[in-house]
Amino acid sequence: MRSNLFNILKKEIRELFRDKKSLAMMLVIPIFIPLLVVGMSALFESQVNKNVEEYNKIGFAYDMSDEEKNIASQMNISVVNGSEEELNKMYDDGEIDLYITKNENKYVINSDGSDNSTYSTSLMETYFNTYKQLLQQSYLQQNNIDPNEVLNIITVEENIVEQDNFFANYIKNYAFLFIIMAITVSATYPATDTTAGERERGTLETLLTFPIKSRDIIVGKFLGVSISSIVTGVISLILAIISLIISQDMFTIYEGIDIMYSFASIVFALVIIIAYSFFISGLCIAIASTSKTFKEAQSALTPLTFISLFPGMIAFMIGITTTPILSIVPFLNYTLIFTDINNGNIDVLNISLMAISTIIYITAVLAYIIKQYKSEKVLFAK
Amino acid sequence: MIKVEHVTKKFVRYKNKREKEEFCADKDISFSANDGEIIGILGPNGAGKTTLLRMIAGILEPSEGKITFDKLNYKDNEIEIKKSIAYLSGNTKLYDTLSTYELLKMCSDIYGVNEQESKKRIEEISKVLKMDQFLYNKIENLSTGQTQKVNIARCLIHNPKYYILDEATTGLDIISSQIILDFIKKEREKGKTIIYSTHYMEEAENICDRVIMINKGRIIKSGTPSDIKKDTNTTNLRDAFFAMIGGVLDEE
Repeated sequence: MRSNLFNILKKEIRELFRDKKSLAMMLVIPIFIPLLVVGMSALFESQVNKNVEEYNKIGFAYDMSDEEKNIASQMNISVVNGSEEELNKMYDDGEIDLYITKNENKYVINSDGSDNSTYSTSLMETYFNTYKQLLQQSYLQQNNIDPNEVLNIITVEENIVEQDNFFANYIKNYAFLFIIMAITVSATYPATDTTAGERERGTLETLLTFPIKSRDIIVGKFLGVSISSIVTGVISLILAIISLIISQDMFTIYEGIDIMYSFASIVFALVIIIAYSFFISGLCIAIASTSKTFKEAQSALTPLTFISLFPGMIAFMIGITTTPILSIVPFLNYTLIFTDINNGNIDVLNISLMAISTIIYITAVLAYIIKQYKSEKVLFAK
Repeated sequence: MIKVEHVTKKFVRYKNKREKEEFCADKDISFSANDGEIIGILGPNGAGKTTLLRMIAGILEPSEGKITFDKLNYKDNEIEIKKSIAYLSGNTKLYDTLSTYELLKMCSDIYGVNEQESKKRIEEISKVLKMDQFLYNKIENLSTGQTQKVNIARCLIHNPKYYILDEATTGLDIISSQIILDFIKKEREKGKTIIYSTHYMEEAENICDRVIMINKGRIIKSGTPSDIKKDTNTTNLRDAFFAMIGGVLDEE
């Protein structure tokens, strides 16, 4: 007699691959990762290499001096003259990017703080610094003082020891964070279907009359959901790497970054994907098994998608790095170690701690679900 | 032989939004079902028939009392007992995405029927129940009658010793109902033990060797249909039931 665990797994996989929604969750979600990588790359590229003509239409509500006109011409600033009221109207109509008003020696940059006006403001700050420096030099020269002795008392030079490409690293880390999210989304639908779905469809009663141990039912279901998540994770990883390699050739923001992954990096990335797939599948089944209906289970599982993202996002924002303690904190550990691997840092201790803690969490979660299936509670939920 | 001894099942239900209360779905139920016998469990909706049959099928656990199958009990021999049981209820649903063949193959694998025997039984059952036309069709595409045939086939695949049938004809047309009734009679002839619950009194009168009437979770009368009619001085089980409960049904 073949193991009933295998029979249940076979049934789950057959149902999973025949259900259009499960298939869509499993195979369509990873497609968003290349879109995200290329989209973010294009966005950052446009921000970094923004054309000056997109934000150089500046209104001046006063008569400019010859020096100012000269600086504006050198900085490729398109000058628009007019009264304050006229310029204000032009600004509201989007004809100019910002306008300057003057009251004696006080210049005011008028803008609304939007993305485009930030570029224009930055341009005008450079303009006024240049103009200020020119006025200072001419004042000092008129008073027979060498401007270099006053204005350049100290000099500052920037020496970049290592090129750290902020935008490229940001995209790489987020691409891998989205793999974690894709795995979560992929696990939620089949997990809901295998527990609350069976209860709602009335097949759970049939299943409970079969001569199968609760342990075999649960482990079979758990493996079925895990396989779905692993498939999503592996497809997502392949697409993430391919899209990053393609983006490297397409966008200048990747200059100086090595996208090629070593064999060890890919193997450890797969370890993370498998570990997280097991973890999230167990958790989803546990949550879904307490829900009475499919809809109720879906509502209960929706927050998991966000929970899987937030710890990683916060870690990126405040610069948290992996430690042995953080390697056992669920959700955060997968993201942090994934980021480490992504950046070429493989720490076997942290990876081992993550794997051991995952086994402990899964065992506890499965024990809870098996206990539920052993009692009649599973038929009625809550 | 199936022996049900002083079985009670208690549930907790909400009295109102905040308060809970305990109620007995079945109270002190005792009876036995011998080999080659059809025992009818009769009663109105909410009488406790489904709960009783679910306990006999090992889906629910009795709060008190015990259920044995040839001296084996669920606590020590759950898998062994379940291998010898077929449970079919009016609400039994099947895996829609599987074909009839795949479902029967899955069931025979689960019950440990070997490959060769499994193939042979599927062929035989398919012939007897006239399922050849839809053997490879997905269950979601079958009619109600065809689905019920698949359900019966599922019950037959492991050649069980005991059948627990809970309102198996409810909601079916007369042709589909007759398929089930014919199947029950044939299995009795083979010496199988059948516990059959229904609220169709006439149906029970026709096929049951003995009937157990339940109301509000308690046995109110048991015996052969003719004995019950004789004792209650009635001509059919419907009138006998009303005579026993005083003529008014109070569904709980």
